[in-house]
Amino acid sequence: MNAMLQIATEEWRLWKRSRLALASGIIFLSLLSFTALVTADQILSERHTRQATQAAAEETFRAQPDRHPHRMVHYGHYVFRTPPPMAALDPGLLPVTGSQVFLEGHRQNSPMINAADADTGLGGLPPWTPALCYQLFAPLLLIVLGYGAVVRERETRTLATLLSQGVTGTELILGKFVALVGVSGLLLVPALLIGAGAAGESGNFAALTALLLSYFCYLAFWCAIIVFASAVFERRSAALNTMLAAWLVSTLAIPSLGVGLGSALFTAPGKIQLDLAMQAEILAAGDGHNVNDPAFVQLRAELLEQYGVDDVAQLPVNIRGVVSERSEAAQTEILNRYASRRLAQEQANAQAILRFGWLSPAVALSFASRTLAGTDLLTHHRFQEAAEELRFDFVQGLNRLHIEALDYKTDIERNRGVEASRRARVSAENWALLDDFDFESVPFAERLSAAGLPLIMLAAWLVLGLGLLARAGSRLTV
Amino acid sequence: MNALAREWRLLQRDRGALFWAAVALVASVFAVCMGAIESQRQLSEIEALKVADEHDRNATLARQSDWGSAGYYAFHLTYAEPAAASFLTQGKRDSYPWKHRIRILAMEGQIYEADVSSPTISAMGRFDMAFVASVLLPLLVIVLLYDLRSGEADSGRLELLEASAGGSGFWRTRVLLRAALLTLAVVVPVLAGAWWVGADSRSTIAAAALIVAHAAFWSVLALVIGAWRVATPVLLASLLGLWLLFAIVIPQLGTIAIDRSIPVPALSQIALEQREAVNDAWDLPKPVTMDAFVARYPEWKAHAAIDGTFEWKWYYAFQQVGDQTVEPLSSAYREGLIKRERYLDRFSWFSPPMLVSRQLMRLSQTDLRSMLAYDEDVRAFHKRLREFHYSKLFLDEPFSLEAAQALPPFPGKPGG
Repeated sequence: MNAMLQIATEEWRLWKRSRLALASGIIFLSLLSFTALVTADQILSERHTRQATQAAAEETFRAQPDRHPHRMVHYGHYVFRTPPPMAALDPGLLPVTGSQVFLEGHRQNSPMINAADADTGLGGLPPWTPALCYQLFAPLLLIVLGYGAVVRERETRTLATLLSQGVTGTELILGKFVALVGVSGLLLVPALLIGAGAAGESGNFAALTALLLSYFCYLAFWCAIIVFASAVFERRSAALNTMLAAWLVSTLAIPSLGVGLGSALFTAPGKIQLDLAMQAEILAAGDGHNVNDPAFVQLRAELLEQYGVDDVAQLPVNIRGVVSERSEAAQTEILNRYASRRLAQEQANAQAILRFGWLSPAVALSFASRTLAGTDLLTHHRFQEAAEELRFDFVQGLNRLHIEALDYKTDIERNRGVEASRRARVSAENWALLDDFDFESVPFAERLSAAGLPLIMLAAWLVLGLGLLARAGSRLTV
Repeated sequence: MNALAREWRLLQRDRGALFWAAVALVASVFAVCMGAIESQRQLSEIEALKVADEHDRNATLARQSDWGSAGYYAFHLTYAEPAAASFLTQGKRDSYPWKHRIRILAMEGQIYEADVSSPTISAMGRFDMAFVASVLLPLLVIVLLYDLRSGEADSGRLELLEASAGGSGFWRTRVLLRAALLTLAVVVPVLAGAWWVGADSRSTIAAAALIVAHAAFWSVLALVIGAWRVATPVLLASLLGLWLLFAIVIPQLGTIAIDRSIPVPALSQIALEQREAVNDAWDLPKPVTMDAFVARYPEWKAHAAIDGTFEWKWYYAFQQVGDQTVEPLSSAYREGLIKRERYLDRFSWFSPPMLVSRQLMRLSQTDLRSMLAYDEDVRAFHKRLREFHYSKLFLDEPFSLEAAQALPPFPGKPGG
């Protein structure tokens, strides 16, 4: 134990004197703080404006004057996504997914994308984020620092001396590993600060801890295989080149390869395709604007019988509202069925890409990170589901008003001049039926369980790294 | 010549160099294949959508009895087919819409919807030629070349080599040969792919030239830095530092500076204002709407009188006026994006990776300009559809399926 710590301390002392270590450390930190500042600024200002815009949209809806309730169904409402605080570390899917949805009757619109948002930070290259700095460049820094750890001692013939002084191979290897893991811990301090700053607002420290642990796991894996490579190669250049190849393949090639194969093998149908596919069913459900649509013949008969009258004009309820309500429910059932099929296919697509996490820890980490940060597909889907729930809720609320607060006769005469149209309105007070849109993120427990598989992958990678390390330690030779 | 032949023999035995060249070849072949497959997939998706769309529209029109409802219920598919050269990169096609189904309601309420089928793909980035050429290629050049000279120095052979080769020129040949091998490994699959998909020769040559020039840039950097008499890892760290600078820091700084200095109206603002304009029209006196409409379409002035009841031509007039109301915002939005694009074009000369990636997108017709060109196509088509309906509605023509056959078709053309 003592020997191990001594070796680790010695390694640290060496790095402290090394200009290379200093320079690469500075490069990494400046890159990280630069992207962190940019990302955090973007996310925080987005959070701020989105919350304000959302409040303004709600206020506008509720401030509408007296109107025909169905007018309000088409007037509709906007909801906006609020980026989770942890997006400052990993914006994930945010830049490529729509951030606002227009909610109206009879339709489920897809989120609209803000091209101006989508462009910030790209300029034709992938967006660089603090998460990517850790996924891509932290391993590179560890390689540059650590590739020589053991092989250097071998090349300068100090390894023999060390081993003959009674230090065991395992102690030596573990010492080097601990030194490098220490660096990893240090590298994560900025992430802790950014995350704590961002999480402070919402007090979501459990998510931050889990996020940091997954990054730590990832970096520790890299430390393990770097020291392993350093222990098994005869020459420094061989160890360095091998690690560079491993880095290139696992952080750059395999993730993109996974995306390529994933998209070729599992294509989720687009919204237009589904809209066209569900058209027949939607038609069969009936057009809620048209009381005489054949789909509502039975409904009409039932109503007449229920209230014991012969004519719809004698009903105590407004049949046009009843038809609207009924058809909205039927259409929504169809829309939801197709929407959930689309979401499931998108999820299957993502899962297909995730499988490449068994080939590259970078893939596993990117999934774990997005999920824990709440910027993954799950959250994006929940946002759409929450928006849909709100949509159905206020549309049916308005249809209720149409049924109960607007007399049938007044309603059908609404187009007979200005006065008639004024009578066919309900009071503006009713617009308070619109609920606030308060979706912010998926609860942490659920995110954690959604991150289960990628976290297991990361753990498996770490175990593999430690296994290799133990093996190298027990067989270390001069 | 002798020296070249000797270096060539050496290269054949250099397993490291051959390994990296093989990596480059595999990466390039894979990127080209995936790109070609994706373009093909999009083409067949568009074909399938065209069939389904026509079927759906015919069925919808068959149920209509007046032009007003025909315009309300019938959707029309628009799309931008991928250009042949889009096997190079999907570029902005991954995050911008290249297909819309529109109807003659207000354009501004429809045009910003994005039918992006897999956000995970858009977020993680595809393995396409833009990625290989702008991000991967410099890294491969660096790992291949960084220790050519210092490696010999470390093993104590440098002086001997320089003496026997009659100077230090031999490692220039060495660098050149390796860089050429790597470049070929990337370029040959591109040429083969271009031939395979039938891309035009101008874009193909331009793409190949870009890749060669980019490889040359990094090789020269590696040559210059490789001549420093410092420890090998310092060379590597310096080159990687330059890569970070050129591939990440400069593009990001530039983009942020340009975005900040050229503000663009928020989409939420356009969408909200458009909705208010359209909805307020219900409560406005009808002549107010019709006057604003007639200002744009004076030819319908004589037919613009609306009596008290609901009329479709009034309904579509306020949709039109809604679009007119946000026209300044909406064109400021697009002009702002174009202006940013112009600055980014100029700025990208400071970062070779950014330049390469942007130019490849341009050649593939998947850059922002192409996406906005598609946006213009959709608007132009929407305008023709609208005007077709106006002529029917304002002249009060009866609806018939035969007359509906004359609905303007979407003029699909590759690349937006």
